[in-house]
Amino acid sequence: MDACVPARSALSRRELLRAGGAVLTGMAASLGPSVARAQGPRRGGAFRVRGYDPPHFDPHAPGGISFKLHTLLSFTHSRLFKHKAGPAVPVGVFTPEPDLVESWTQPKPTVYEFKLKRGVRWHNKPPVNGRELVAEDVRYTFERFMTAKGHGNRFLMEPLDTVEVLDKYTVRFTLKEPYAWFIDVLAIPMACAIVAREAVEKFGDLRKAEACIGSGPFMLDSYEPNVKAILVRHPEYFVSGLPYVDRVEWYIDEDISSRTAAFLAGRYDFGPEFVSAVRWPDLDLIKQRKPNLVLHQFRNNVWSYLHMRADGPPFNDVRVRRALSMAVNRAAIVEATTGRKDIALVNPPVPAALVEWTIPLDQLGEARHYLEYDPKEARRLLAQAGLAAGFKTPLHSTPGYGTDFVDTIQNYQRQLKEVGVEGSIQLKEYGAYIATTYYGKYDGMGVGLYTPFHEPDNYLWGYHMPGSPRNQSYVNDGRVIELLREQRRTFDVKKRRELVFEAQRQLASQCYYVYGPSGMAMGAWEPQVKNFMTNLGYDYGGRMMAAWLDR
Amino acid sequence: MRQYIATRCLLAIPALLIATFIVFSLPRLLPGDVVTLMLEEKAYASDIDELRAKLGLNRALPVQYVQWIGSLARGDLGESLWTRRPVVQELVRRLPVSLTLGLMATVFAVLMALPVAILSATRQDTLADYAARSTAILGLSIPGFWLATLVIVLPVIWFGWSPAVRFTAFSANPWTYLAQFVIPALILGVASAAGIMRLTRGMLLEVLRQDYVRTASAKGLPAPRVVLKHALRNAILPVITILGIQLAQIVGGTVIIETIFGLPGMGRFLVDAILQRDYPVVQGVNLVIATVIVLSNLTVDCLYAVLDPRIRYQ
Repeated sequence: MDACVPARSALSRRELLRAGGAVLTGMAASLGPSVARAQGPRRGGAFRVRGYDPPHFDPHAPGGISFKLHTLLSFTHSRLFKHKAGPAVPVGVFTPEPDLVESWTQPKPTVYEFKLKRGVRWHNKPPVNGRELVAEDVRYTFERFMTAKGHGNRFLMEPLDTVEVLDKYTVRFTLKEPYAWFIDVLAIPMACAIVAREAVEKFGDLRKAEACIGSGPFMLDSYEPNVKAILVRHPEYFVSGLPYVDRVEWYIDEDISSRTAAFLAGRYDFGPEFVSAVRWPDLDLIKQRKPNLVLHQFRNNVWSYLHMRADGPPFNDVRVRRALSMAVNRAAIVEATTGRKDIALVNPPVPAALVEWTIPLDQLGEARHYLEYDPKEARRLLAQAGLAAGFKTPLHSTPGYGTDFVDTIQNYQRQLKEVGVEGSIQLKEYGAYIATTYYGKYDGMGVGLYTPFHEPDNYLWGYHMPGSPRNQSYVNDGRVIELLREQRRTFDVKKRRELVFEAQRQLASQCYYVYGPSGMAMGAWEPQVKNFMTNLGYDYGGRMMAAWLDR
Repeated sequence: MRQYIATRCLLAIPALLIATFIVFSLPRLLPGDVVTLMLEEKAYASDIDELRAKLGLNRALPVQYVQWIGSLARGDLGESLWTRRPVVQELVRRLPVSLTLGLMATVFAVLMALPVAILSATRQDTLADYAARSTAILGLSIPGFWLATLVIVLPVIWFGWSPAVRFTAFSANPWTYLAQFVIPALILGVASAAGIMRLTRGMLLEVLRQDYVRTASAKGLPAPRVVLKHALRNAILPVITILGIQLAQIVGGTVIIETIFGLPGMGRFLVDAILQRDYPVVQGVNLVIATVIVLSNLTVDCLYAVLDPRIRYQ
């Protein structure tokens, strides 16, 4: 599915001349040894990236869950583990590897002991002043992670019980119960940045830019709200020789037209949309203007869903839920926002983008049918459930995810109406939506957008386990509970995958949510950017750390 | 004239006080318990009492108002709940951006509007007049955001070039600082220019029919002098009123243009603050906008006296 797509060249006179030049250059290169390849990575230069304006710089404060913050912190902060990055890593695969950790043991299923790398230095900024990062910093970070008021990502460490310092470089994590995803969760770039106590004590919290002090490959050099952040190479970064570029220029650009124009005009090195992608409607123009661009198509994990109060009528009837799922034309929803039907992806409960953990659709059994658009069957099921005349329901959501998402809400509404379900759209301002609908305070139905997690547990447990704050459909299914508990206790990856697949079969069959579509995305970057591959999620820094510029 | 200006200045004080009262009261009149919502969504404090104390809501309303005015007099607008920075510090960074944009847009609007209006009025019902009026209607009809998008996107499609939308601070490079406002100010100025042109033309047509203008022409004064010195000066008073209002509108509400051109001005700041329920910032921005409106109206009133000696308070 994932494949490098060569850009189509246009045949204008100017571009023909340019192409001729490229051919001559290629011929010249073929006559002698490949100098560029032989040289290997080059140091220096600056990556120019379309960035986001962080709400503040404190990962544990309210608002600290924002991707706008964590994409930036992925440059400046280290974690205990990180995900492998680089051209050899397929998009959608997230293999943890040690970051600050040198080695680790797991003496019991609930106990992890991590030995930290020695000589890791904080950024040389007051009040931390480049001192060595030690086990106490890790303990402090996780204590703050678990206790900070209003920290929206605390659920990620819900199985964590205690963190103890065994010696200067060793830290022990004890969990309440076995949690096979623990290392994966420590690696995700949306939560577990290690922070310095002195910074918190000096500034009161970490909201100010001056408090952005980490041990990552880049240091925050300057920050102008709504304008840009400049990151410079951390000279004492613990991975020798990295990063290769001296600077990352992080330009805050909230307007689609202006950032696309800036990319076309050569002011960004990477595609200006999330995870270095470009928008499908702009692709033909981009290919014409930049025929040498590196393009890489991948499955996106940004996807919407319908949730419903499955703890009461009419949604406690599986026939009604299945009818709703079959009323949704997933390809049409993707087409409405991208202009293309052929890039639509059908998602089971774990998105198709998580290629190692999503169940192949042909293994779903009879549940496969419920993910297909079949309005006739949907009407039949509703009639069977005694709702031949349809029914009315509120459809809660928010405009806070942008205009494309509002279009998606309206599409859901229209498609449900075709089978007789009249959804009355009730939009709330984003903050109010999160405080109410997102945490299950609603009636009827809602339309949401999934957080782009890197492992299946957060999709499965988070949205389907009784007691989880994100169990928006009020799922309480004995078989699901059993499977989800079991997969968390199963350390054997192959066996765990089977459990995850089985849970997806059960969930797809019960249709507690209408799992919406996602689309393929197109990553793009300048050919001078070497040793780079995009991936899903917020780890911009991890992906750019080992990349270099050949210009 | 001095007495007139002094009176206008004195009258501005109650206007400002009323503005402060409205700015102070409105967040407190919002339906529902906003503080509870702020606590639930943003956890700005550890409990509701602490947040009420932080916002100064634990005292009687008149006491709160007096304290707020007292702080205001000391230049203290409180601290942003979201960024924890003083609101004044945040405003000082953004107000000059919006003011520069507003002033440049106003200047461009006048430069575009007046010559066309004069031409149109002095050549009424000619081809030039029809063309000018049609252009003005077009200028009024085209939304600024659409024009801005075209200005950014079309050059890159045609020439592979687009205007830079990266903000440069005045301290970094004064020339680049000013240059980056030219295109957004021109776009903002187009809509304003269209309105000013139509108003000026209408007023000028009326004045040009007055006896004293006919007399000036009959005395043999050259036509440009008649129009520019005698007619335009009398026709321009309502135009100046409109200019004052437009400047205030631009300073307070150019969110879209600021976003498209990456300008960190007051509009984007206000929207962010509203979304974060950062009420000290919302109050601060609204107060600045209200002050700009009062001051620009005061300036307009003073200009009346300069332009029309008949306007005096007795």
